[in-house]
Amino acid sequence: MDHSILMAVLLLSPFVGFLINGVRYKQATYKISGGIATAAIFISFICSVLLFSELVGLPVDQRKIHVKFFEWLNVDKFKVDAAFYVDQISAIMILIITGVGTLIHMFSTEYMHHDKGVTKYFAYLNLFVFNMLILVLGDSLLTMFVGWEGVGLCSYLLIGFWFTDKDKAAAGMKAFITNRVGDAAFLLGMFVLFSTFGTLNIQEINAMAPTVAETSWMGALTMGTMFLFVGATGKSAQIPLYVWLPDAMAGPTPVSALIHAATMVTAGIYMIVRLNPIFIMTPNTMLVIAIVGALTALMAASIGITQWDIKKVLAYSTVSQLGYMFLAVGVGAFGAGLFHLMTHAFFKALMFLGSGSVIHAMHEEQDIRKMGGLKKYMPITHWTFFLGWVAIIGIPPFAGFFSKDEILWMSFHSPMGHPVLWAIGALSAGMTAFYMTRLMCLTFWGKSRVPKTVHPHESPALMTIPLIVLAVLSVVGGWIGIPEVIGHTFGHIPNYLMEWLHPVLKPIPNLTEAEHSLEWGLMGASVGIASISAFIAYHFYVKSPEIPGKIANSIKPLYELVFKKYLVDELYFKTIINPLIELSRKVWFYVDVNFIDKITYVIADLIKGGGGVTRSLQTGNVQIYAMYIAIGLVVALSIIIIK
Amino acid sequence: MQSNMFTDISLNHYLVLSSILFVIGMAGVLLRRNVIVILMSIELMLNAVNISFIAFSKYTQNVDGQIMVFFVMTIAAAEAAVGLALAVTIFKRFKEVNIKFFEHLRG
Amino acid sequence: MTSDVFLFWFLALLIIGSGLAVLLFTNPIYSALSLAMTMVGVAAVFITLQAFFIAGVQLIVYAGAVMVLFVMVLMLFDIKAEVQAFSSGKISGAIKLISVGLLSGLIVGGIIMSQKSFVGEMTKDAVHMAEIQKLKKSTSPDASSKELGMVLFSKHIFGFEALGVLLTVIAVGTVALARSRGGTHHAK
Repeated sequence: MDHSILMAVLLLSPFVGFLINGVRYKQATYKISGGIATAAIFISFICSVLLFSELVGLPVDQRKIHVKFFEWLNVDKFKVDAAFYVDQISAIMILIITGVGTLIHMFSTEYMHHDKGVTKYFAYLNLFVFNMLILVLGDSLLTMFVGWEGVGLCSYLLIGFWFTDKDKAAAGMKAFITNRVGDAAFLLGMFVLFSTFGTLNIQEINAMAPTVAETSWMGALTMGTMFLFVGATGKSAQIPLYVWLPDAMAGPTPVSALIHAATMVTAGIYMIVRLNPIFIMTPNTMLVIAIVGALTALMAASIGITQWDIKKVLAYSTVSQLGYMFLAVGVGAFGAGLFHLMTHAFFKALMFLGSGSVIHAMHEEQDIRKMGGLKKYMPITHWTFFLGWVAIIGIPPFAGFFSKDEILWMSFHSPMGHPVLWAIGALSAGMTAFYMTRLMCLTFWGKSRVPKTVHPHESPALMTIPLIVLAVLSVVGGWIGIPEVIGHTFGHIPNYLMEWLHPVLKPIPNLTEAEHSLEWGLMGASVGIASISAFIAYHFYVKSPEIPGKIANSIKPLYELVFKKYLVDELYFKTIINPLIELSRKVWFYVDVNFIDKITYVIADLIKGGGGVTRSLQTGNVQIYAMYIAIGLVVALSIIIIK
Repeated sequence: MQSNMFTDISLNHYLVLSSILFVIGMAGVLLRRNVIVILMSIELMLNAVNISFIAFSKYTQNVDGQIMVFFVMTIAAAEAAVGLALAVTIFKRFKEVNIKFFEHLRG
Repeated sequence: MTSDVFLFWFLALLIIGSGLAVLLFTNPIYSALSLAMTMVGVAAVFITLQAFFIAGVQLIVYAGAVMVLFVMVLMLFDIKAEVQAFSSGKISGAIKLISVGLLSGLIVGGIIMSQKSFVGEMTKDAVHMAEIQKLKKSTSPDASSKELGMVLFSKHIFGFEALGVLLTVIAVGTVALARSRGGTHHAK
């Protein structure tokens, strides 16, 4: 089949789904709406698979399918086409988006069936996938930005989906406004890149990337990439703009799985990977990215330990894992970042859907203190969640191990990395293992603390099938990227992912060969840390549940600080938001009320007075009006004739 | 133009006839109070215009004038239909066709 | 005085007389009948101007259809001679009469002042020469109607089609109007 048709179907199928469901948004038949939406994404998935297989069939150095639909903008030197291209990086992304998207749509069909706005929900979800595909496939930064804004909008709509609840609506606005800050920076980055390169086309920018690294802090390229990175911190929830993501859990749980774990929040990492030739040439930006990523990973993981809301724990876990990905791209290991993005999409989507299944079973209860012992009520959910758990804490041979270990190794070994970064990464890995085990223990194991009025039950097949598929992916997903040192030992298993990505990723400059013993040692260390902290957590929360409370009491100030999320929200409110509101109020009072309004009132009064005078001409008698016409006619004719 | 005004019928004669008829219709619109008579006067004005069109058509040997008359007649018929329908509606509502009672749009 | 000239004067007087009658009769039925007579007179003028087809249409559409419509509506209302047939207001009445008088004076004055051979200029127009030649040869009713039809269905086909649409709209609109209970004002 022709590529352009394939691409058009891939992009338009979710959009058509959105239109259909958007038009019939008042219907409440969840089976039809869910069926339409799932089918739309599934068609896209098939197209993605076809495009992927086409790509595999091409020679290694020509793996690129570029489709131009039409010329979008053409102003002087500024030309942007409505063009899209699939290469090795975006192929992986579209497979994740449409594949995981299909499963989540399927899950949603059952999960949302009580809701009155189910059709509207699916319309938003399809629109989201459409925008995400545009973001991923767009061949210029501007096209990407269209998708970037589109997913932001859908995210806002879906977080505030139950907008009658004031808190949830506020969470939606918080996400939207925080993202605006990042998007403004993204725009600035585009301006800088355009003034530097004279184009916004990603391929052209990548081709024009300099061969010598730019070391100055104020250089054009450094500024541009830095702005783009700030944009990425907004969308991908990094310090300082991460605050919206935990609140975004106000949306329906499948939305958290799709948008706030698997796809949209990874857009920032994707953007950096797609532009890797210019990022790698700006070591200062890379340093900032790595530090921000590592700190975010550590901080979010520590907050995750103290949270009681099942979705909040997962949300902080997502922020932390995104930090890992930024750490990876920050040290130049773009492949590792993308690898972790993929495995994370599998196991985090799995865990969110699993939590959705739990919440569904518990009748919308999200507090893990009121759960426990759910293992025997919901075996499928438990076992799939279990597989997600071993994947995320990095136990070999599950998916998370390979990707996370790759990141840790590169952060140590790469010339852009540093042992300190490795240490922070390993520490957060330990914390990850701790809070995830804590979540497992409090939710599924130990004694049941379920209120007597609630009778948990296993979810129906439509919800468990996606869980099982994702669980399988969480187990095997890592096997495509087995690191060289392990593959070598077990009989030359190639690292498929790195081979696949090799042509589009710039290598890290000055990368030396490493000792295998060192790599084995670090690997052992990280697995050891994770296992030990997982064991401690198990001991704390299952064997002797009174210990955590005591510890928390003994370090109360610190615990409180972490529990209150380091008071970042309060800080933002105090230093930025409240002064801004105060300023706006003053501007409103002095400029709007006392100045602009007054002017308009004066003008209005003048017009009113004039109207009062001319009103007397308006007698309501039609014949008088006709008389005016006749007089006008006479005057006009007189003028003509006298002339 | 040295010719007898009464025996040589020229284009001007028709135009003057047309204008007199037009002014009569206009006077009707301005002075009469019955809605239906006002509509009739409008028809008079339209006919007056038609006369001048046909006269021009004849004296310039251009058939377009007749086409225009054809169009005007169609429009006039349509206008009469709508006007009368309005009159009927007004009559049904107010039991009255005298225009002096319809001054609801007084400013 | 040839018959042509006689006919013109006769018809002119008839039209003006019956037009004035429309204006002056206080009983609307008489006005309607005078209007019918005016229409017939105008149709006759059309014949003297050799516009036979238009004259026929005038008789059928105006003197026939439209007049019948007027009379029907009048019968529906059952109106006797009116008490206040003319608008009162002395000043406005005077202004109206003056403006009407002035208008007629101006138009006639204008026509007489523009005595220059307006017609002559027009006939020089090369575009219409062919048409004119044909028309001059063909003075029979058939030929002129044929000519009219040719032009109507070629040069003016768009206007013709647009009129068709208009008439459809009018037909629907008229029925809707006549059926409606009438506006937003509620009867007392």
